[in-house]
Amino acid sequence: MADRIFGSIALVISLIYGFIAFTIIKAPFQYDPLGPEAWPRILSVVAALCCLYIIARPDGQKFKVLGHTLTRIALVVFFLSAYAVLFERLGFIVSTALFCGVLSRMLGATAKQSVLFGIASGILGYGLCAGLLDLNLPTGAIFKNLKLL
Amino acid sequence: MDTVFAGLSQGFAVALNPINFFYVIIGCFSGTLIGALPGIGPINGVAILLPIAYSAGLPPESALILLAGIYYGAEYGGRVSSILLNVPGDAGAVFTTLDGNPMAKKGEAGRALSLSAVASFIGGTISVILMTLFGPLLASVAIHFNPSDYVALMVFAFTCLASLVGKNPIKTLLAAVMGLMIASIGIDANTGVARFTFGIPDILAGIDFLVIVIGLFGMGELITLVEHQVTGKLAVLPVGKSFVSWKDLMVTKWVILRCSLLGFFIGVLPGTGASVASAVAYGTEKRIAGKSGESFGTGDIRGLAAPEAANNGSAGGAMVPMLTLGIPGSGTTAILLGALLLFNVTPGPLMFVQRPEIAWGLIASMYIGNIALLIINLPLVGFFARLLTIPQKYLTPLIAVLAFIGVYSVVSNPFDLYMIIGLGVFGWLLRKLGFSLAPVILGVVLGNLFEDNLRRALSISGGDWMILIESGRSIAIYVLTALILFVPPLVSSLRRRAATNAATSEA
Repeated sequence: MADRIFGSIALVISLIYGFIAFTIIKAPFQYDPLGPEAWPRILSVVAALCCLYIIARPDGQKFKVLGHTLTRIALVVFFLSAYAVLFERLGFIVSTALFCGVLSRMLGATAKQSVLFGIASGILGYGLCAGLLDLNLPTGAIFKNLKLL
Repeated sequence: MDTVFAGLSQGFAVALNPINFFYVIIGCFSGTLIGALPGIGPINGVAILLPIAYSAGLPPESALILLAGIYYGAEYGGRVSSILLNVPGDAGAVFTTLDGNPMAKKGEAGRALSLSAVASFIGGTISVILMTLFGPLLASVAIHFNPSDYVALMVFAFTCLASLVGKNPIKTLLAAVMGLMIASIGIDANTGVARFTFGIPDILAGIDFLVIVIGLFGMGELITLVEHQVTGKLAVLPVGKSFVSWKDLMVTKWVILRCSLLGFFIGVLPGTGASVASAVAYGTEKRIAGKSGESFGTGDIRGLAAPEAANNGSAGGAMVPMLTLGIPGSGTTAILLGALLLFNVTPGPLMFVQRPEIAWGLIASMYIGNIALLIINLPLVGFFARLLTIPQKYLTPLIAVLAFIGVYSVVSNPFDLYMIIGLGVFGWLLRKLGFSLAPVILGVVLGNLFEDNLRRALSISGGDWMILIESGRSIAIYVLTALILFVPPLVSSLRRRAATNAATSEA
């Protein structure tokens, strides 16, 4: 069943992809026999055929995720998104400390462990990557005004 | 032969340069570490660390040496968690658990670890030697390939993928096509027409390769880790004092030799890496062992040596087509190929001539790396075993942090942070549904090469599709493709028939 659902969604996507390739993409002028639309057209046909096969003969594989696990995964995705939102705003150190602290707490660390781990990974990560390896990491919009870092 | 020696001496000059030597050691060490951590394999390790190596400003040869070290180092390290935890470090190490873990349960963990280290070493070394010999040879043939030959090679590569990787060939094919579709997003280089960008400026130049890799393999892995997180402690079996004996090596020497060669050649086939190599090696050895093969799966040293020799052999094999044709031999080498492209190095037949310091430097570094790995792995195995107990609750957040650092330090665009999260969920779903991710990344890497060569071939012929099957070389490649497609199912159906015949005659 899961295969069929996925196959149908993928089929819809490849049909949309194919529709765009067959109708919209066009070069204003070209010298080559194959324009920018030819390759996507081929791909869309192959993809659609694969999807049809999967819908017709699914593996019968069950998509088993316990409700409890699904909640955890949703939470992780939420934390990751929050991390992404805060990454530039709060800067690497603070956002990383928050993210590591919260996620490790969720994964079973005690309150004290997660606070220590969060702070350590924020500061050590910044020191190692921005200081030692000279990578480009955000200091954080709120610190720029304070000129703390 | 002269070119080989000249090349090797140049390569060793590069690899023995103190800084590069340092990167070999670092790569091998961190590779072993990554491989040893349960759940994280070479492909995830290389994916997560690639952007950091890139933005740290290493010269291309040093970065490649480092990343390749992580790759074969992780193939080495995967055995530690397989043997001691019964949790394979990655797909290629699944077969190591079958005999490795029973040995550890019998109190022979030290023997299992040291024997598999030696088998890995031999597999790795044999494949580097073969790579040294065949690489330049293949490059000198490939230099004459024209666009239609390349199209044939691509068809061959995707056929190999579909028929050898994963359980369901159609799913693997679909995964590869998805990769090709992702690669088609962005501005078409030939005509300047935007394709599938929907007016989003962030993807006009296409979705960054790094973003795809980190999303699918870094973030996807993270979600999988959270899903499978085991509550309570995994029991790490003690390493103990037992060690590999000369007698063990004598018993397994032919097994190791055969499987190293087998691993190398499976590695050379485009797209098929360690997981296929170790599976085939294990199956073959079990069959060769015949009656005495019944002890496979209960702690037989041959069953341990076979997959380990093969998966390390395949790592070298997979590099051959990557360096000489620009077609990666495995999922991880697809990422290495992407890394080379990031550094503006175009892998292919000309690389041995134009950028010998990279091609030969890499090969030479693998000789050094294999020796270093053996030295690191024999005495330090206890140290790596202790690392297995790093709790998931700390490891998982750190993967995310590394992925974020990697993506941000290369592209500095917060949009890509959301993109990797989305791709991570997508990758997790695909894996859940029984798709493998390596074909996706192969599709992404090969997409432009495939399309460009097809269009170029048709430009040469003025639109006549027959050019694709005109040269003798491309016809030979299509014949090989047909063999790959039809021989394995034929063999298995013949074997099944033979088995039923035998059964009926016995009855």
